[in-house]
Amino acid sequence: MGKLSAKCIVAGDSTVGKSTLIQLFRSDGSHFPKNYSLTTTMDVITKTVQIPDSGDIVELFLCDSPGKAMFYEMTEGLWDQPGALCLVFDVTSETSFSNCGRWLQRIKSKTTSPYLPGVLVGNKTDLSGRRAVEKIQAEEWAASHGLEYFETSAKELENFDQPFRALAKSFHRLYQERVENFKSLL
Amino acid sequence: MTRAGDLCLSSAGARVSLATSSDDRHPAECIIDGNPETFWTTTGMFPQEFIISLNGLQKIGKIIIESSSVRSLKIYTSATKEPTDFEPCTDRELEHVEGQFHTEEITVSITGRPIDLHFSILQGLLWFAGIGATM
Repeated sequence: MGKLSAKCIVAGDSTVGKSTLIQLFRSDGSHFPKNYSLTTTMDVITKTVQIPDSGDIVELFLCDSPGKAMFYEMTEGLWDQPGALCLVFDVTSETSFSNCGRWLQRIKSKTTSPYLPGVLVGNKTDLSGRRAVEKIQAEEWAASHGLEYFETSAKELENFDQPFRALAKSFHRLYQERVENFKSLL
Repeated sequence: MTRAGDLCLSSAGARVSLATSSDDRHPAECIIDGNPETFWTTTGMFPQEFIISLNGLQKIGKIIIESSSVRSLKIYTSATKEPTDFEPCTDRELEHVEGQFHTEEITVSITGRPIDLHFSILQGLLWFAGIGATM
């Protein structure tokens, strides 16, 4: 059995639901924060994910980062050497979707690795009447940037753990590839 | 005097007293088992550290380390009974050559009684590093 550790940056515009998704995932769906609280510093939440059929576990260090520019600038330095990324936008906000490109650039500038496991999450799908970003549009953008796309509704407890489990899995796959690579060198 | 190459082997009484990563398919004991086919892997994030406690020693002139994906390494020594009170010994930026385990020879001058060697991998590539052996 192996225990892996991945630093995962969770980023996106403010009020898209980053902290809520993380809190739900942490509590296995039992804690939905009803009141909005602005994230001003980077919170690190750890959560262990079992990797099916391997006996291995991945401990995710989820870095819940402020979306507001003023606070983001102060915490940016803590993003050094990320191992995975989770970009979140609000499906009712075109702006939060179009800003994902900028968030992606910011995270990529913190790593020297050519590949970073990542997911794009469209949250708040329960607000279907106000939807401004179509699924196909988000899927295409995600695919063109090597990200896996997920839609979630934190409010309806839908899919909230899928993006994080997918990240843990990709990170685990990278580790296995790396170990195979080491073996081949000896 | 004991030959330098023998000191960091479990057969010479050395043991790993700490390692910050664990995958029981590639445990830290692989560093000192003398088998060129085995290695220790770090399992994500840096720094990563390991301590090798030697079976008593007077002098070390050279440390050889075989690694892959290690970029920056720092070595500390401790001469106390327990592995505490470490003092910096040397640090190195390693050259990473893709497609091979890199052998780095580090000349040191450790006199007195260094009982524990503390290796700290400050930076690596792609989150995971492998250490094949130290001598």
